Amino acid sequence: MSAATVGARPAGSRVLNRIVIYGLLLVFALVYLIPFFVMLVTSLKTMPEIQNGNMLALPKDPTIQPWIKAWGEACVGLTCEGIHGYFWNSIKMVVPAVAISTLLGALNGYVLTKWRFKGHKLVFGLMLFACFIPFQSVLLPMATVLGQFGQLGKVFTNAFGMNLGFGNSTVNLVFVHVVYGLGFTTLFFRNYYEAFPTELVKAAMVDGAGFFQIFRRVLLPNSLPIIVVTVIYQFTNIWNDFLFASSYAGSGDVMPMTVALNNVVNTSTGVVEYNVNMAAAMIAALPTLLVYILAGRYFVRGLMAGAVKG
Amino acid sequence: MAFLEIDRLVKRYGATDILKGISLSVEEGGFLVLVGPSGCGKSTLLSMIAGLDSISEGEVRIAGKRMNELHPSQRDIAMVFQSYALYPNMSVAENIAFGLEMRKVPKAERDKAVAEVAEILQMGHLLKRKPSQLSGGQRQRVAMGRALVRNPQVFLFDEPLSNLDAKLRVDMRTEIKRLHQRMKTTIVYVTHDQIEAMTLATQIAVLRDGVLQQFGTPAEVYNNPANVFVADFMGSPSMNLIPAAVRAENGKTVVALQREGEGDLVLDPGQAGEKLSAVLGKTVLFGIRPEAITDHDGADRNARTLVDAECQVEVVEPAGSDTFVVAHLGGKHVIARMRSDVPVRAGHRAPFTFNMDKAVFFDPQTEQRVA
Ligand SMILES: Nc1ncnc2c1ncn2[C@@H]1O[C@H](COP(=O)(O)OP(=O)(O)OP(=O)(O)O)[C@@H](O)[C@H]1O
Ligand SMILES: [Mg+2]
Repeated sequence: MSAATVGARPAGSRVLNRIVIYGLLLVFALVYLIPFFVMLVTSLKTMPEIQNGNMLALPKDPTIQPWIKAWGEACVGLTCEGIHGYFWNSIKMVVPAVAISTLLGALNGYVLTKWRFKGHKLVFGLMLFACFIPFQSVLLPMATVLGQFGQLGKVFTNAFGMNLGFGNSTVNLVFVHVVYGLGFTTLFFRNYYEAFPTELVKAAMVDGAGFFQIFRRVLLPNSLPIIVVTVIYQFTNIWNDFLFASSYAGSGDVMPMTVALNNVVNTSTGVVEYNVNMAAAMIAALPTLLVYILAGRYFVRGLMAGAVKG
Repeated sequence: MAFLEIDRLVKRYGATDILKGISLSVEEGGFLVLVGPSGCGKSTLLSMIAGLDSISEGEVRIAGKRMNELHPSQRDIAMVFQSYALYPNMSVAENIAFGLEMRKVPKAERDKAVAEVAEILQMGHLLKRKPSQLSGGQRQRVAMGRALVRNPQVFLFDEPLSNLDAKLRVDMRTEIKRLHQRMKTTIVYVTHDQIEAMTLATQIAVLRDGVLQQFGTPAEVYNNPANVFVADFMGSPSMNLIPAAVRAENGKTVVALQREGEGDLVLDPGQAGEKLSAVLGKTVLFGIRPEAITDHDGADRNARTLVDAECQVEVVEPAGSDTFVVAHLGGKHVIARMRSDVPVRAGHRAPFTFNMDKAVFFDPQTEQRVA
């Protein structure tokens, strides 16, 4: 179509296009936002208001009592100490798991692009394969491995009086998430470093930098976009994981947030406290939300860069 | 013994030889330029000197010491890359100091060295900037500063000027020459620009398909090319290469060039005649640079053999300081370089003067020099 015919198009149809586009966007935004809205307002209402009122109505007398209760007093199974302990469990799991898997992914990407060895393609292919293995199929083998860790922990306890982390549920979950996340983090970093100028690495070699110095001083400082992508991806995945958490740390005070939340909602003593449940769910979702808000801009940019450069 | 010696160097990828036994040597303080068309192996050779590419066969020695097994950082070399390869996350000062930092030079000394280099390259005001905030020429300077600050035994440059625009390239070329005269450090410099090679080098090595074609001073390579490839590659406009018959006339060996619609143009080959008598009756390629074909008054007065001849002028190209005049001889366009104010016109006959001292002759089959 020539420029003239584009220009000659009636202004009315262009406005109509806009209305359709923005209308659709609005509808989808509402579809996504209404549940969130309901959760938020419900968590700020009192129980009588919930029982008598409209789900979508704004709270008449907003209160943060449900949030305080969810944090400090809500019952998870038989213990009624709130979810804060489990929240910290999740943090203790997610921070090291994200840090380790991201760092190892970066290191893998660095070696697979800048220190190529015979068979580097095969190694990368096998690592990619890890991205396609379904969670469920590794549950049993992983349980066996973690069981061995537990045995090792007992041996260490007898020998040195402490288990050195072996058999600890949080450590187990960190291990599982690092192993499972490595395929993805390696993929992200390999693609990013593939487009990273090799001359910079050569210049650093001539300048006398070693393997890790080049990694730390030249590659990592120039990897911010892909680090953000990887951290967001890993953080949301690990934080939201329920399957591994319930399989390997499904009871007692070692539960991560996701499992605890499930138990809060399922606790069947007395009336169901919707406001507390909603507040607990909001608290559980807060960290991922925060990560997106803080780093979302880089996320989109980083994904695009990866897409273009392959 | 030369300072930098490259001894029968071979580079092999799988079954293909990229470099096929290159031997070169440079004296301390020399400026060796590796020149040749794209893909001939210049960068590969430089990388092997630097230690960034492994050596398949042969040896690289600096100051008599074998380098083959040494890591790039232990060879006491500094390299300037085509893309400059400045670390984007570091300031200019940090970029320059990085190599010293890696060698554990104390901070105070590093700062002093950076300040000195900034002084030499006149970029003190740029030290705090990031590479992304610099122009192409400034980046080039920083890249050179990073090499200078280490004060190495040998500088390696891989097409350092090819990303600059024409004007800046000429300025930087002069600057590199000035730096070399000041530092007196040995330099190996890769380019595919023959003018850069001529102006900078003390020694030129012409490469083609991984084979060394000629190694010599710029004047040798320019005036006495070893073969047709070198003759054609060096110089702009390039050397005229005209098929010519070698004949005997009145007891003298002469060369005859075909002309359209008239008799052959017969030229006395001067001191080359003796060698040419060995190929009497055969055809040779007669090579003569445009500046050796002039108008009569523009000819070199010290030349021993000047031959005047009338030729039909095809095209006249004024180029400011000179005028290039194109004639048709031996089935080829022949370019002559005349003074800017010569009264020649296209389509008319004009007198040409051939300086036969500068003539060279090649075998048309082997393309090697015969006289
Ligand atoms: N890793 C490799 N495997 C196989 N062949 C290679 C490899 N690296 C380079 N080559 C080949 O070696 C030859 C020389 O390459 P090199 O980069 O040295 O050329 P160059 O003279 O620097 O060219 P340019 O002027 O374009 O930079 C080329 O033909 C190239 O295809
Ligand atoms: Mg090159």
